[in-house]
Amino acid sequence: MWLVFLKELKELVRDRKTLFFMIALPILVFPLIIGVVAYFSTKAVQEAETKVLNFAVVGEQYAPSLVNQMKDSDNFNQVSLPDEDDVTTSIRSGLTDFVLVIPDNYGDDVLATGQITLKLYLNDAGLNLVQHRLQAMVNNIAKHNQQLAFVQLGLDEDQQTALLEPIVIDKIDVADKRENWGEKIGGFVPYLIFMLCLQGAMIPATDLGAGEKERGTLETLLISPIARYKLVMGKFFTIALAGVTSALVTVSSMAIWGIVLSQGMAIQLVAEFMSAISGIDFALIFLMLIPVVAIFASLLLCLSIYARSFKEAQGYMTPLVMLVIVPVIMAMLPGVELKGGWAWVPLTNVALAIKELIKGTMDYGELIAIFGSTAIIATALISFCVYWFNKEKVLFR
Amino acid sequence: MIEISQLAKKFVVENPKKLSEQERLDPRLKGKFFHSVCDVSFRCSGGEVLGLLGPNGAGKTTTLRMLSTALKPDAGSITINGVDVLTQPVAARKKIGFLSGNTGLYGRLTGRENMAYFGQLHGMEKQDILRRIDALSELLGLHSYLDRRCESYSTGMKQKTAIARSVIHEPEVVILDEPTTGLDIMAAQTVMDFIRQMKVQGVGVIFSTHHLDEVAQLCDRVAVINEGRTAFNDTLAAFCARAPESLSRAFLSTLERGGQ
Repeated sequence: MWLVFLKELKELVRDRKTLFFMIALPILVFPLIIGVVAYFSTKAVQEAETKVLNFAVVGEQYAPSLVNQMKDSDNFNQVSLPDEDDVTTSIRSGLTDFVLVIPDNYGDDVLATGQITLKLYLNDAGLNLVQHRLQAMVNNIAKHNQQLAFVQLGLDEDQQTALLEPIVIDKIDVADKRENWGEKIGGFVPYLIFMLCLQGAMIPATDLGAGEKERGTLETLLISPIARYKLVMGKFFTIALAGVTSALVTVSSMAIWGIVLSQGMAIQLVAEFMSAISGIDFALIFLMLIPVVAIFASLLLCLSIYARSFKEAQGYMTPLVMLVIVPVIMAMLPGVELKGGWAWVPLTNVALAIKELIKGTMDYGELIAIFGSTAIIATALISFCVYWFNKEKVLFR
Repeated sequence: MIEISQLAKKFVVENPKKLSEQERLDPRLKGKFFHSVCDVSFRCSGGEVLGLLGPNGAGKTTTLRMLSTALKPDAGSITINGVDVLTQPVAARKKIGFLSGNTGLYGRLTGRENMAYFGQLHGMEKQDILRRIDALSELLGLHSYLDRRCESYSTGMKQKTAIARSVIHEPEVVILDEPTTGLDIMAAQTVMDFIRQMKVQGVGVIFSTHHLDEVAQLCDRVAVINEGRTAFNDTLAAFCARAPESLSRAFLSTLERGGQ
């Protein structure tokens, strides 16, 4: 068995494509995702905040002070509307970024005018921050008018506060920052790790089963005096090692890049998140991925050995990616927690456990169910693999 | 000596609707089964070369796969120097050297690594493997490229290396499935020289081929398979006697006569 394993391993490390998916991709994927998302989102927000907005006003005569404030700002530029009845066209044509319609009851005396509604026409698809920027300007005037009304009514400061917000709910969040972050990103991390593990195991699995059939080496191997189960186990361990390596590289990459980004680039959120997760948590995440990878490896080997060719194997494996997504998505559903029956559902339980570890709320007793269920499934699948490796109609389709 | 008697092997036809008109008319198609080999018998002693002939689809490759233990027969028997292939497949595999239709080499391993791997699979000691690699490299002229990866080999280089790999464990019987197909004259000559060498060493050689000139040059015995049955099984001289003017005529005459 180890003879087969070592030979397969030797071939594996000589295959650049496999090495790329197994090592290079997990190393690069985290900084790429974090870096690209951070760069583009920051750039988009900056552009939206600093862009000079072309605007037009209908009913300017009712609110000269507001319009003058906007005109005085460097970030706003007033344009004339060719047709005041067709504000939509002016926005769609790009003439204006927004049109503000001021009603004729606009005034500074709130007690006399009541609530005033300004109509804001804009194309709100995509990030624009138009309302946010306009609101900041309107808020100043609104506050000023509010104060005038309070003075008129003769209210002291406490009365003003009570009038503005008669009942307040004071939320005291007992969750620490780690738990909050864990809840937010804890569902996404297992998805990413599972996919990378599957990807890391997929290429060698295709090569070791269908690839051998296609190249004609399988027949030669089958007639060598070695028990079939040893052949299967040798191949299984190679695929599993590729998956585990991919997992190890993924988790290490996540940890290392987290530290690099949090220290080197001073991103506060990443720093807080990384400082909250201990080395033991990372080690546990890695350990739980071993039976997961065993499930992937045996499933992939079964599919690969059944396929007639490399192409056919890839055709069978693509739906497997979708199949793996399901238990991970289940782990993201509200109400699904790592306890009771869910702790025994393979893959879902590991996804939930990774989330709990990230949140720092892991019940370590559930590890028995997690390792137990995934080990049972993995053993059953490996046994099925050995059974298939003895079937002529599978080997010589 | 390798002796096979009344071998039979059938396969389930996965999708009968996809069969061509000619395949549907094949008498071996019975219901959902295709009886690839129905009744094949022949023998080959040590130091003998047996040429296995037959038209495409006759059942030659299935027969050779059964001999090599890759497929299990539905009926019949195969013995190799007294070892029953059906009941002792692992013991039988140690006595067989098999070269399939393609070379079956691992492209990312060197020729030396390929040979050593199969030597280890056969349970050989490291020293014996090194000795055999040296001897076979000398015999087949592999030295200049033995430490290069097989994916960079020419067809001839691959075929020579595959031959060396198939006999690394010094088998008692060598089975070759169309070993010269697709080879240039030089490479084909190497294969033929190798078969002669095996014969001299007392190894029984069974090889399937469509090249009757190779049969004339190498074979002591001939077996012809047609539609899954042995149509001829005797010496080369007896085969030639069927049509003295040419082996092609003898072959066609055998097919026309069926199993008579």
